[in-house]
Amino acid sequence: MRGFPLLRLFLVVAGLALLGVPVWLLTRPVPSAPPPASAPIEPEKIAVYDVLLTSSAPARLAVRVANQPSVESDGSASSLSASFTMNADEPEDLAVFGNFDPAAGNCALRVEVRIAGKTLADSTFWGIGLVEDVVTIPKP
Amino acid sequence: MMNRLLIATVFLAWTTFAQAEPLRVASLSTVMADLARDIGAERVEVTEIVKPGVDPHIYEPTPGDRKTMAKSQILLASGLGFEGYLDKIRPGLEKSGVRLLVGGDVVKPIEGSCDEHEGHDHSHGHSHGTTDPHWWHSISNVQAVATQICNAFVAADPEGKATYETNAKNLQTRLAALSKWVRLQLAALPKANRVLVTSHDALGYFAKDNGFEIFAVQGISTSDQPSSQKVKRLIEEIKARKVKAIFAENIENPKVLEQITNETGAKPGGVLYADGLGSGPAGTYEGMMKSNVATIVEALK
Repeated sequence: MRGFPLLRLFLVVAGLALLGVPVWLLTRPVPSAPPPASAPIEPEKIAVYDVLLTSSAPARLAVRVANQPSVESDGSASSLSASFTMNADEPEDLAVFGNFDPAAGNCALRVEVRIAGKTLADSTFWGIGLVEDVVTIPKP
Repeated sequence: MMNRLLIATVFLAWTTFAQAEPLRVASLSTVMADLARDIGAERVEVTEIVKPGVDPHIYEPTPGDRKTMAKSQILLASGLGFEGYLDKIRPGLEKSGVRLLVGGDVVKPIEGSCDEHEGHDHSHGHSHGTTDPHWWHSISNVQAVATQICNAFVAADPEGKATYETNAKNLQTRLAALSKWVRLQLAALPKANRVLVTSHDALGYFAKDNGFEIFAVQGISTSDQPSSQKVKRLIEEIKARKVKAIFAENIENPKVLEQITNETGAKPGGVLYADGLGSGPAGTYEGMMKSNVATIVEALK
């Protein structure tokens, strides 16, 4: 060995190369996984919901839907109609309000929700003074 | 004559003293302590062992706490695994004649969300046997526990029946009003925005009641640590869903949440009370719920 510097060089290079393989395997950049294929986006099913509020006595009526302007009666009224365009797969909840004269005693606020004439929800809420509640619309 | 007067005076003094002795109640739950104070009023003395702001997931009772528990007549606990030390202290309590009242025994438990799977799917139907112990985030559960507490007080102190039942009825009315208030507030929040990203998985009952989806950095307990894989997945999910805000909790280190907020561009949504009551307005159950709902609606609408 002592007399063969070329052989010694060859052995050193071979040794380094052998050591380098596991180091390279551990440190090489791993190609990042492709992003998950996104689910095909289905177009929203839009529907027009007709809402009718009827009160047992004249009251200030209002109906609110998230992200849409609220609809309110002009002063006291016995009924209020409104239409809201919403995603039919996940319609928003309706917040309904009837502000009655407390002297009128126990009053009722009826809320009907229709889509193309078909009734989806029909609820009546009772109370004295301010009658407020939430109507959850079932999917058609 | 004098003897009779003396006996009557002593008897009157004794009955007055007996009435003045309140029912001793200790609580490991800040929420149940609040309910107990409402229902028991002046007839009970409630000692909070776990106080607001203490992380109940990592709390361990001290020898002093054990003494307080042993001196109580009724000990209130959340159950469903929330107090990991409960089974250890149960034999000692029974020996001391303490009645252990576990709220989790009368609620409808739900499973904690699963985070063990790659690309996890929230709709999968199998069970991991991890029950979510944070039942107080559903008002209907709190109504059931209020009835349980009232019944326990009546059993321990039958003379106070009328007081307990009247107070419990008033509390139930307030809880029903709170439930309606929550629904009215949340009606302003579009359903597509009902995604809650929180530090740990504590709001499952609230999510189930109100149509939210939960993404939690940690698991059911605050001691669960998220893997880097999980944090990465969460960041991708938040970006894909365009989540507007991420919520911190009152008793936790929000460092990981800050990192996620920075990487996703979602804004910090504020602080939620997840593991019990807080201080100030959030120091009562109704205050805590109102604070949480107002914070969520403000940040996500």
